[in-house]
Amino acid sequence: MAENVETVVPGNVWKVLVKSGDKVKSGDVLFIVEVMKTEVPHSAGTDGTVKAVHIAEGQEGVDAGMLAVEIE
Amino acid sequence: MLEVIQSGLETSVQDYPGRLGYWNQGFPPSGPMDSWSFRLANLLVGNAVGAAGLEAQYMGPTLRFQRDGVIAITGADMQPKLDGQALPLWESLAVEAGQTLALGSAKSGVRAYVAVAGGIDTPPWLGSRSTFHKAGVGGMGGYALKKGQVVPVAQGKGTPGRRVKDGCRPVFATDKVWSIEVVAGPNDDWVDGAGHKRFLSSDWKLSSKSDRTGFRLEGPQWTFTEKAHKKAPEHGSEPSNIIDQGYPLGAINLAGQTPIILVNDGPSMGGFICPYTVPSAAFWKLGQSKPGEVYRFKAISVEAAQALARELSAKCSPSSII
Repeated sequence: MAENVETVVPGNVWKVLVKSGDKVKSGDVLFIVEVMKTEVPHSAGTDGTVKAVHIAEGQEGVDAGMLAVEIE
Repeated sequence: MLEVIQSGLETSVQDYPGRLGYWNQGFPPSGPMDSWSFRLANLLVGNAVGAAGLEAQYMGPTLRFQRDGVIAITGADMQPKLDGQALPLWESLAVEAGQTLALGSAKSGVRAYVAVAGGIDTPPWLGSRSTFHKAGVGGMGGYALKKGQVVPVAQGKGTPGRRVKDGCRPVFATDKVWSIEVVAGPNDDWVDGAGHKRFLSSDWKLSSKSDRTGFRLEGPQWTFTEKAHKKAPEHGSEPSNIIDQGYPLGAINLAGQTPIILVNDGPSMGGFICPYTVPSAAFWKLGQSKPGEVYRFKAISVEAAQALARELSAKCSPSSII
């Protein structure tokens, strides 16, 4: 099942844990956004393969609701 | 009684005006960052403006009601849903025992407020129910809400269907630019003319390393008067160092070259200069701005800042509710 994972908070991209082609399972953490000195992990909601990653580690000032990782 | 199903990013009990009177002993007031939205939420449910409610930040909580009641949600739009049905903001609503309120991530603004008729009834500490998590006091055991907790609510009788009058509630910037009032001082004489001009004419970007303690800003370099360079060594090595002093709430504290606005949970003293201070009437704008958004500062007098606070308090009165 395909899934588009969006950022749920604005902030800085602290870690990106997957790359295109990686196999992921539902619940796996894909990337972590930092806001208010708090880590906000974003997880896969489905099993699949990472089709595209639209964010980069260290990227600053991302918005909430931005398409970050595509899983298929 | 509210059962915490999901806590959200950092959801805490706050009251207004918070823990006043202990700043000289290092305790900040805490309280809601956007006290305008907070006070209106209380008025909507028939509470006193200062009654304890919840402040949700960025990502809201999911809560289950253990008895019937009346609630209001104001501030940031976290697209609240009651048992999956979308709810309006800025309006009092009836809820029933067993129903679940879910707040999502903030679509506009940053901080949402949930008031419940009767008010949250956690034990006060030094005269306030506000959470100050750095010291672990107030609120639910001193910290943000945790999954599984049950938040006590006092008995109260609210009326559903009450709304905030047009023009009486805050309007959040939609172009990512906020005009923020500042008052010069207490250490404005440490910054030179070019430094003041630069501060008041530049765009200052809010860093994501900002929280209820301080709002960190990114912008141009500061320049100083002779006072900052030719001083006794006790002041410290940086031009912005000064012998430890008390800070006003809202101080724009210059840590080296980085300005940090000291907000509700901020420190009361330290060894950096504070060239400007954000008056309390502008705090709601800080509380609702996102990282990456821009502040433009506008200098006003102390009298003008006091007038703004009076205007804001006048809007936070029952006359704003219909």
